[in-house]
Amino acid sequence: MTRNVSICAMAQIKNQPAIWQHRFQGMLIDCFESIMEQTNVTFDMDKGIRNVVTCSDDVFDARTISDAAVTDVVGAHFRGEEKVAQDGISALGYAMACILSGHDDLILVMGHCKESQSESRNMCTNLAFDPFYSRPLGLDYLNAAALQARAYMEETGLTDEHLANIVVRSRKNGARTRHARDNEQLSVREVMESPLLADPIRKMHNYPVTDWAVGFLLCCDERAHEFTDNPVRLTGFGSCMDSYFLGDRELVSNFALKKACARAYAMAGITDPAKELDLVELSDACAYQLPLWAEGTGITGKARGPAWMEAGGMDKHHVNLSGGMLNGNPLMLGGLARAAYGFTQLQGKAGTNQVTGLRKALAHGTTGAAGQHHAVLILEK
Amino acid sequence: MTTETKDCFTIDGKLALPYQYFAGSTGSRFIISLREEKKITGLKCNKCNKVFVPPRSTCEVCFEDISDNWVELPNTGTVTGFTIVRYEEPHQPLKPPYITALVKLDGADTPFAHIVKGIPFSKMKTGLRVEAVFAKKTTATIMDIDHFRPVTQRPGFELGYTYDQLEEGMSASFTKTISETDVYLFAGISGDFNPMHLNEEFAKATPLGTRIAHGALPQSLIAPVLGMKLPGLGTIALEVTTRFKAPTYFGDTITATGEIVEKLPERRWVRMALTFTNQHNKLVAEGSALVMPPVPMDKE
Repeated sequence: MTRNVSICAMAQIKNQPAIWQHRFQGMLIDCFESIMEQTNVTFDMDKGIRNVVTCSDDVFDARTISDAAVTDVVGAHFRGEEKVAQDGISALGYAMACILSGHDDLILVMGHCKESQSESRNMCTNLAFDPFYSRPLGLDYLNAAALQARAYMEETGLTDEHLANIVVRSRKNGARTRHARDNEQLSVREVMESPLLADPIRKMHNYPVTDWAVGFLLCCDERAHEFTDNPVRLTGFGSCMDSYFLGDRELVSNFALKKACARAYAMAGITDPAKELDLVELSDACAYQLPLWAEGTGITGKARGPAWMEAGGMDKHHVNLSGGMLNGNPLMLGGLARAAYGFTQLQGKAGTNQVTGLRKALAHGTTGAAGQHHAVLILEK
Repeated sequence: MTTETKDCFTIDGKLALPYQYFAGSTGSRFIISLREEKKITGLKCNKCNKVFVPPRSTCEVCFEDISDNWVELPNTGTVTGFTIVRYEEPHQPLKPPYITALVKLDGADTPFAHIVKGIPFSKMKTGLRVEAVFAKKTTATIMDIDHFRPVTQRPGFELGYTYDQLEEGMSASFTKTISETDVYLFAGISGDFNPMHLNEEFAKATPLGTRIAHGALPQSLIAPVLGMKLPGLGTIALEVTTRFKAPTYFGDTITATGEIVEKLPERRWVRMALTFTNQHNKLVAEGSALVMPPVPMDKE
């Protein structure tokens, strides 16, 4: 049986530093109601949504079984609901599987994260480390990223100035993206003079604390016309989990990302990503990750990141025209934000950063310290 | 949507859940070696020869059960990556800035994260050779390794015996013949031009009948013992007392001997018995010294 799957609708709120005036449930309701309004989809058990996939994180929500707190506001009562507790792009992959398998025609994917609720994002990510060998040492995603950043810079010659250019460009692109976090525009010098958090990562190299929620309605192709006249097809998905301990991994080998891409490309029939992908959205929580992940996707070669940047690769391959995660999306939702932007571009609604003649886009998400898990989604018009 | 803050409430919460986490039989054995013997251990896969630290009971590549294939690793290794943590947050083990590094122990294949101390940030580098410093008190956690420090670069000289290396009964001595020149130089050094030491005709009229050396001259011969032999380089002398028992005549050969007689664990000092004898084995002076033996030179 061959079946295809499309995103029919996407709704999001604006990425903001602290949405104090809204509970995360309220953030989701805004997205949920927008999808209802855009599509007139129902919760009829024969023809409507029978299954919802959510993405949230227990620690950020300060409660266990975090999805239980939102099932009512995402329409999940009296039907199936399953939670993805890693980067939300896996929720889209899971929703695809539900539809491609014939199990469901329609899946609602809803994700939220309110990073501002916790006193410290780093304290939250410290809890991702095993309590025995690593957690007592104060490891968190930031200092783990710093270990990876240094390794990448030592391998490729990526400089502090390269990093500053990535940040400056991210802020510029973010300012042109609807729903992106409002950030100050920065000069290269301002980035290079921002304080070091964990060498070589400076404050401005690290994505800012952000609150956000998003929803997607996925549907099998044959029924997509019931909900939209502008669907975007999902043609490939792949994911791969690398070893848990940092020391077990080659930190700059992109092992898991390459595997994830290989699976997604095979599914989407992509043989030359550098030529075939018209838009690439990477989850770059820290600036150094943009060229590193770019290498992993195959749009440039191993250790070629800095040279690729200097040759204008970021603009040539339309990488992170959204501003990327670096401009501000919460943890867990980096991949969903990438997919949301890919969807917006493929629908032709990306405003001043709209790419013309766009056909294939890649959205990437990653979970865990220094990119333990990677997932890649291919979107097509 | 209103952004009026009046009548908006927040709950200030804190997730602090006491819990126990079983380290597993593999993790427990790792900690027991660390706690009991200050030994870092790993598990080796016989199929791919990979040595895992921290130990894992199964090789993730070969799916081999390696849970009994323990290997003992040295305390030395190489830094394969590092960062200097400068932001301050409650989950950190020490006050920033501090160095977090990946350390690959000699003989291991997987580096593991730990703290590095004892090197200026500007000199920290990938490839640095480091050694484990064990915690003074065990907590039966990974923090039984307190930190890693650069492998000590041996200076061009050997430090003397440390407190822990010294034992009661250890002794060392220094011997020298006292000449007229020594006495005259010592008179100049001390300002003691007493004719008793310098004028033979005057000395003939005294009960001793001839010139003798200054009492402090043979006494000073204990300095090379304490400072260069026992305990040796790096020793700080805190107190030296001497009682003169017999005169030292010109041409006498004096042997100054120090012997460890007491270790003072509270201060980590040692007390030494001192004897000064001449070529006839006659005791010319005796006394005692209190010294602080050398401590390793790296500054922490």
